[in-house]
Amino acid sequence: MDKKQILIVDDDPDQRLVLRLPLESAGYTISEATSSAQGLARVKEVKPDLIILDVMMDTATAGFQLALDLHSPDPESEYKDFRRTPIIMLTAIHSTTPLRFTPDEDYLPVQTFIEKPVTPEGLLAKVREILGEK
Amino acid sequence: MGFPSPHGNAIGPPKPSPVKPARTLVEAELVSSIAWLIHLRWFAGAGVLLATWLVGAVFNLGVPAGPLFTIGSGILIYNLVFYLAERRLTHASAPAEAYDRLAKWQVSLDWLAMTLLIHCSGGIESPAILFFIFHIVIASIFFPPRTALAFAALAIGLVSGIALLEFYGLMPHVTIVGYLETRLYLNRLYLAAMLIFFASTSLIVAYLASSIHERLRQREEEIVELSKSLQRATTRLQALNNGARTVGSTLELNQVLNRLVKSTAEAMGVRACSIRLLDKSGQRLEPVAVFGLSQAYLEKGPVDAVSNPLAREVLAGKTVNIPDAPNSPLIQYPEEARQEGIRSMLSAPLIGKDQPLGILRAYAVEPDRFTPEDVGFLSAIAAQGSIAIENAMAYQTIEQLDEAKSQFIRMVTHELRSPVSVTQSLLRTLAAGYAGTVTEQQQDILNRATRRVEFLQKLIDDLLDLAAGKTEVKALEAREPVDLAASLERVVKRFELSAQEKALTLAFDKEVAGDSLVVMATMEGLDRVFDNLISNAVKYTRPGGRVKVTLKPMDGEANVMIEDTGIGIPDEAMGHLFEEFYRAPNAKAIEHEGTGLGLTIVKDIVTRFGGRIAVQSTPDVGTKFTVSFQLTNPEEF
Repeated sequence: MDKKQILIVDDDPDQRLVLRLPLESAGYTISEATSSAQGLARVKEVKPDLIILDVMMDTATAGFQLALDLHSPDPESEYKDFRRTPIIMLTAIHSTTPLRFTPDEDYLPVQTFIEKPVTPEGLLAKVREILGEK
Repeated sequence: MGFPSPHGNAIGPPKPSPVKPARTLVEAELVSSIAWLIHLRWFAGAGVLLATWLVGAVFNLGVPAGPLFTIGSGILIYNLVFYLAERRLTHASAPAEAYDRLAKWQVSLDWLAMTLLIHCSGGIESPAILFFIFHIVIASIFFPPRTALAFAALAIGLVSGIALLEFYGLMPHVTIVGYLETRLYLNRLYLAAMLIFFASTSLIVAYLASSIHERLRQREEEIVELSKSLQRATTRLQALNNGARTVGSTLELNQVLNRLVKSTAEAMGVRACSIRLLDKSGQRLEPVAVFGLSQAYLEKGPVDAVSNPLAREVLAGKTVNIPDAPNSPLIQYPEEARQEGIRSMLSAPLIGKDQPLGILRAYAVEPDRFTPEDVGFLSAIAAQGSIAIENAMAYQTIEQLDEAKSQFIRMVTHELRSPVSVTQSLLRTLAAGYAGTVTEQQQDILNRATRRVEFLQKLIDDLLDLAAGKTEVKALEAREPVDLAASLERVVKRFELSAQEKALTLAFDKEVAGDSLVVMATMEGLDRVFDNLISNAVKYTRPGGRVKVTLKPMDGEANVMIEDTGIGIPDEAMGHLFEEFYRAPNAKAIEHEGTGLGLTIVKDIVTRFGGRIAVQSTPDVGTKFTVSFQLTNPEEF
């Protein structure tokens, strides 16, 4: 069986490391991007099976923008091939802040959220669930 | 500071009143005197008839009964005409001149009747001559002194005329048989003495009665004027009081300013009122509240606090009256004032504790509208208003500072949160062996590091909670009816395991008969409160102890008691219990780590939900926290 490709888009190198180590040891191939723009470019390059995306990068909602671009329903969209690529979104949004998000098929084409701090076990469980393993 | 925009209050000048001007005091008196005179004349007419009969029948004197009865009846008849005329005038609310004409007619006819009566009762010999005196008094009451004197002179003329005509035999003399022995009317000396005394008495009476009446009238006018000004003063005091109350009932600066201008204009009964406050530079006076001025006038141009002579004078602490605004050299925009229809202005200084704040100004459409009384009044309002404005400004500053503080805490904690959470993840990844095998000692060190970082994370989250609670006004709007029992059951369940491990009895006693106890709150908030309190109780109670949670309604409130048999709270710690970062020394001894924010957050949430929290404790015996919330009737929703 081919190794599944996972693209990590996060501007924090430490956070990328924390994500990469458990996933690699679980047998996934990891590629990384450090910004939304780079992320979009890498998507076309590596054609990932799953994208892990940080919400806050250059701006507080840059991650959302990337997810919207990628999953655009526009048939002419340059990312139309990746419309079905699942996305896991990392949030550091505390429960008391007014910005609270839940996966919403219409509004946010995101499969699930993982709240920071990330635990290796929690991460692996979510990834396996979304990729339909186990 | 955000100044309110002076829009939307502009009103036009007051319309002239359609009501007729009220009668002056003199006119009112004339009207009522006429009615009184008509009333008296019924008796006069009847008196003549009765006296004529008495003189003939009882005293057996020979009087010409026929003519006298005719005079008496004549008086009654013309009085009936006057009576009807007076009623018609009153009904038609006729002008005062009509009443004056009616009065002159009455007096003239009375004079004629008097003259005939005197002639028919013996001419110069008639005792009825004396009756002319009170007629003169009546005329003096009705008319100004000159007219009264003219009527007195007429009376003198009439009496002298009869006397002389009878003396010279040009008119028949009526002799009252059995009244006088001698024919006095032919006695020159008597005639002269009688006429001289009658004339002088008439004139003196007319003079005295007029002047006494005139003086009374003046006094009365003074009293009326005085009572009017008292009335005005009372109205103003009431307005001032109302104004002070409405202004004082809010600390919101815009509201204070708007209420101040409105109540001032209304209390003074003037067209408009405005407040200009000095801007931060102290150079410009910005309009911040206005009542009754047009937008065009407000936008006439900048008002410079330094070069504008009027502004300078007022800001120096003087209340300045400008009786003729469009022509005053003190006014910076005279043409605009003229176009706005403003003729006079009164400006009072708004002065704070340390420096001038601005100007309170009243505008009138009448020239020279403001009296010394108004100057005192506006100064008083301005003094009172200054305090209200300064309080509101201080409150605004405090609110801004508090908000800034909370913002700062939020920002800092957000910045802290990110590295701390990544560190936590890094440690966990390392401990889980994803970066290679970890020895037992390394594992132990990693676990210690993880615990410390976890504590830091909790501290940051608590701080964020606290900051959010202070800034999020919306939290109140998000309140909904929540069942207390459900929240308590949920939280108690969470602690069952840890209580068991410590061999504690954890009991939930629900003293609720039938209905559930519903309060206005959020589920998250209530859980947070009870989680904190029960977790403390479990944490600070030694093995074998007891933690009891009780829920019961009391006087429209729901009380939640969380009692333990724990270490208790020392007396010296009681006062600091809800302070941020405070931890009681005996609590520190048991549990080294603790943010000292738990109870602060509890109190913050309880207060936000309109509840109260109380604590009773005896060291080494136990602690009891009581949280009370107002009950809500679920049917209201």
